[in-house]
Amino acid sequence: MSSYVSLPIFASTLRERYRLEEPRCRSCGTLNVPARMACIECGRGDFDWEKLTGRGRVFTYTVIARGGAPTEFDEQQIMSGSLVVAIVELEEGAKVVAQLTDCDPEEVRVGSPLKAVFRKLYDQEGVVRYGYKFVMDEERE
Amino acid sequence: MEVAVIGVGQTSFGTFPKKSLKALFFEAFQEALRDVEKGLDPKEIEEAWIGTLSTGGGQLGNQAALLCETVGLAGVSAHHVENACASGGFAFRNAVMAIRSGRCRVAMAAGIEKMTDLPRERNRLWLGVSGDVEWERLAGTNFPGIYAMLARRHMYEHGTLKEWITGVAVKNHANAVHNPKAQFRFPIDLERAMRAPMLADPLTVFDACGITDGAAVAIVCRADEARRYTDRPVMVMGSGAATDYLAIHDRKDLTGLLAARKAAAQAYKEAGVGPKDIQVAEVHDCFTIAEIMAYEDLGFCEDGQGGFLIRDGLTKLDGPIPVNPSGGLKAKGHPIGATGIGQICEIVHQLRGDVQEPIRQVKGARIGLTHNVGGSGGTAVVHIFRSPE
Repeated sequence: MSSYVSLPIFASTLRERYRLEEPRCRSCGTLNVPARMACIECGRGDFDWEKLTGRGRVFTYTVIARGGAPTEFDEQQIMSGSLVVAIVELEEGAKVVAQLTDCDPEEVRVGSPLKAVFRKLYDQEGVVRYGYKFVMDEERE
Repeated sequence: MEVAVIGVGQTSFGTFPKKSLKALFFEAFQEALRDVEKGLDPKEIEEAWIGTLSTGGGQLGNQAALLCETVGLAGVSAHHVENACASGGFAFRNAVMAIRSGRCRVAMAAGIEKMTDLPRERNRLWLGVSGDVEWERLAGTNFPGIYAMLARRHMYEHGTLKEWITGVAVKNHANAVHNPKAQFRFPIDLERAMRAPMLADPLTVFDACGITDGAAVAIVCRADEARRYTDRPVMVMGSGAATDYLAIHDRKDLTGLLAARKAAAQAYKEAGVGPKDIQVAEVHDCFTIAEIMAYEDLGFCEDGQGGFLIRDGLTKLDGPIPVNPSGGLKAKGHPIGATGIGQICEIVHQLRGDVQEPIRQVKGARIGLTHNVGGSGGTAVVHIFRSPE
């Protein structure tokens, strides 16, 4: 089975996945999400890490039908049926792809306010992989 | 050094449980050889590029050498090209560059994919691995979801209607009815396609390609020697290729594919022509929305207006700019690595005026284009061709 992220490699990204800390380029000021070795905008490699607010808005989204997600999410789809995935535009400007959870797919719109939550992503080799998903932010319009 | 296509061949695209990787390749190669009007000694082929993602078929490493051996070309310098669904188009670009460089006289560009011998789970795995695996796929989405999100953004920014998007499938199925080599040779109606089971909202199963076996081969040579082999050489006017961020969340604009725009700009510049000069095109409609975006990326219309071309029927067989007369990836079939070369086969026949079923022949077409995309636009390659003088 290829297309697999090993535990040590996954562990090296926990700062981003658990605490939403991401690097900002010292040269051009671009926030890089996820982190890179060379800045996504200017190609240089010096960064200052900062903690993000976790607030963002739906840039675009989809509802993936049962069985349509990657095999790592089969167990989740057996329980939840469909799975909502969005490109989230973060308050700080960068975009990330993440699942929307605890929400009614019918209520999701482009522009809906979101906030990040800590959730289980998938299981592999008996180890749970955690990271961020997003929920609708009821406190904002 | 100008480059000419002197022969093309492809298998039918479809489900062929009894045809191995080798059998598929042999069939396409033999057809390409037969297509060289005045004959070609296969030993004249000096270099071969074979595009494939290697999903099924039982061979992973050294696939190019194996397939060359299969057709009696053991010993030739051969390369496996992998750029996801654009592997075939990039294989062709390599062959073009090799001829242009003067390093070789005759070269082969091919593509192949054996997909139907895999269990469903393993096919699902392969179909998700050409986007960004670490952050995109393992967040929970593979390609239907990615293209669905691109479709949603296009609808949001440009008011594109779902019926125009799915209209691409209706058009391409109508063309495939007349293509004996197509996988899905049946017409579909818009209402039924719109009501089909949802794959990734707003895309239904009729907005997506199937799982397909197939192989295709193109043989190219120096243009100044082309007449030795055929009186109907099709000239390569321009070649362009580019890459982009694999994950769509890293891109500024999600209503088009920047790599395709860059590839098209290069190809148009080399060819000395513009979008208005293109009379027939085979574009990468891996999902229906991809064809709408292709119209804009290739300059067939203004940004945001791709849907209007479907609404107004402008890209149908009898329209001013027929797109995917073969049936496209949607209905002709999308055997990943073979797709880019299959597009070139179609355009070569169109420009020579010898399409097998006359009803699909775009009359008088002299300049044609192929547009081949890898993943969700991580790679893209565009070629422009001219009919024989």
